[in-house]
Amino acid sequence: MVDKVLSEQGAGSISTTAIRIRESGIERRARFRGLAEPLSLLVALAVLIGVFSLFNERFLTASNFQNVLTQSAIPLIVAVGATLVILLGSIDLSVEGVMGATGMTWILLSANSRGGGDLGPWAWVIALGVALVLGVASGLIFTALKVPSFIVTLGMWYVGLGIATMLYGTDLLPRLEDEGLKGWTSRISFGLPNSFWVALLVIGLGMFVLRSTRIGRVTLAIGNSETIVRSAGLPAFRVKVAVFAIAALLSGLGGILATVQLDIGSPTVGSGVLFIVIPAVVIGGTHLGGGKGGILRTVLGVFLLTILNNGLILSGVESSYQSAVTGAILVAAIVFAAWSQRDRLQVAK
Amino acid sequence: MSKIDNETTKIAVPARGKLQSVKRIGGWHAIGPIVIFLVILVVVAILTPAFIGGGGLAIIASSSAPILLLALGQAMVLNVGSIDLSNAAIGLLGAILLALTLGPVAGLSPLIVLLATTAFGAVNGLILAYAQVPSFALTLGTLGIFQAVALVASGRTTVYVSSNGEGVHALYESGIANVPMTFWMGVLLAVALWVLLRYTRIGRGMTAIGKNESAAIFSAVRTRSLKVLAFALSGFAAGLAGIAIIAQAGSASPTGLGSDLLLPAIAAALIGGTSISGGVVNPLTVIFGALTVALVPIATTAVGIEAQAQSLVYGAVIIGVVALTMSRNKTSIVK
Repeated sequence: MVDKVLSEQGAGSISTTAIRIRESGIERRARFRGLAEPLSLLVALAVLIGVFSLFNERFLTASNFQNVLTQSAIPLIVAVGATLVILLGSIDLSVEGVMGATGMTWILLSANSRGGGDLGPWAWVIALGVALVLGVASGLIFTALKVPSFIVTLGMWYVGLGIATMLYGTDLLPRLEDEGLKGWTSRISFGLPNSFWVALLVIGLGMFVLRSTRIGRVTLAIGNSETIVRSAGLPAFRVKVAVFAIAALLSGLGGILATVQLDIGSPTVGSGVLFIVIPAVVIGGTHLGGGKGGILRTVLGVFLLTILNNGLILSGVESSYQSAVTGAILVAAIVFAAWSQRDRLQVAK
Repeated sequence: MSKIDNETTKIAVPARGKLQSVKRIGGWHAIGPIVIFLVILVVVAILTPAFIGGGGLAIIASSSAPILLLALGQAMVLNVGSIDLSNAAIGLLGAILLALTLGPVAGLSPLIVLLATTAFGAVNGLILAYAQVPSFALTLGTLGIFQAVALVASGRTTVYVSSNGEGVHALYESGIANVPMTFWMGVLLAVALWVLLRYTRIGRGMTAIGKNESAAIFSAVRTRSLKVLAFALSGFAAGLAGIAIIAQAGSASPTGLGSDLLLPAIAAALIGGTSISGGVVNPLTVIFGALTVALVPIATTAVGIEAQAQSLVYGAVIIGVVALTMSRNKTSIVK
């Protein structure tokens, strides 16, 4: 009797051991996969830097390094927000519109050549408030009216551009007159451009939000399965609105910095940013379906595209080819990422 | 038992009857696009009677032709649950190729352009179907490639049709009921696609993919080939849009007429009642979607909104119209 019980226990412990071995195997593989993708990006970056430094000795200089960092700062800031939205499984197309509206509001309320009131720091608050309103509006229309995010943010893109164009009116170009702010973004402090310091701060905050706050964890959970999030009683509605608000705030910040960099107010100050940001997020390995990915990967994606563009210009490649190179890399990256998971029964949209 | 059944059916009948009566007239999302177009048109007609009298409708129709053609292709791709961000770039590349080749090869040129653009679309579809990558990212990438090809092929300047342009230009100059042939080309394509979707196995299969791709695979629908076909059709429609651009302008440039048609065309497809998640499309109502998109700028001016606010109104209209016409239920998940 006792023997029998013992032997049964033995059998039981063997099977649990087998399960544990299997589990740890799965975990190890997952950890390997989690490392392999960023590693391949890092290798790609290193190869790019190596190749470009062969073509032009100016590529690997400190001044060009600072140049690349300045160029990447605004896409980085915007991409942190875009990553959060894509982790939800949604998409934010409104970045260029929000950048335009925020940048224009800011410059018209700061010291500019058109005159008007110089509100100083309040200009920042009001401009970012405009961005926040646009973001909350997107989030509310998306969640309460159940309009797909693609359409809401597409509309918000136009709305933002419209606000910027209306503010711009028919007067002369508003030119930035604050000497302390002119060229602030590319000025160097502690070895790095100012705008890149801002980007670093945003990246850090973004990672903190994603990893250690309820908003971040629920964001990931919504991307994985919104049904489960809702049935678990988690605040899916509020988190979605919050994420769209954060994304719009970051786009707005990017818009202000882009206006400072450009020195003049323009409704199309964000032109082209969307075509860097979304490919960067996708190349970084964040799934468009949501739930998988992260901010550091996006940072790598932004660096890859910025270094590529910078290197191509320095290597004397005509700028006409730039969008083709970005596009080809994007296609290659997604095909590379999806190749091992191909399956006849898999659904790709 | 049967008594209870009777009672439950009695309670259930009125609700179901109501639902069916809405479905019988085609559902709100089927007539919505037409109603919205007519409402905006009536507002414009009341505020500026001269617009309708002075051939305003013909102007709207002719300016909506390239948008309509692109929107029809986009609607086919949206119907299989994907999206084609590259179709406007393919259309513009088609226009540039047409302008370049119309001189040397004359009558063959439109044929070559249509073949090329269809092939471009098919390449999108092949990569999508066989590498199983998300269409949004894929076509965003190929959008960049086609843009660059257009820049390089045109040498970054406007390409004028050197000779033999009369035949293509006639598409814009001649017309039925004062409306240019380019628009009727779109209507013809819409009818053809409607027949394809409604009465053929191919069309039904495409809609099945959009509604539930896994179920379509298990029902032996040829999902891969149909997806390739949907993207090829999008390329073909983009080629027609390229021809319409040349017919209208007589020239093509990477930054000129047709360079910013991607978003208006998507908006037209969506306002025309196409679902962005797939499985719901009606090419005939997409015609009204395209007309609405072309009408909005004119309507904003007619209502007296200043020109600078146009894009704001445009954005609000897109959101509003889709919010009004979209079919949704409480438990569904919207991404």
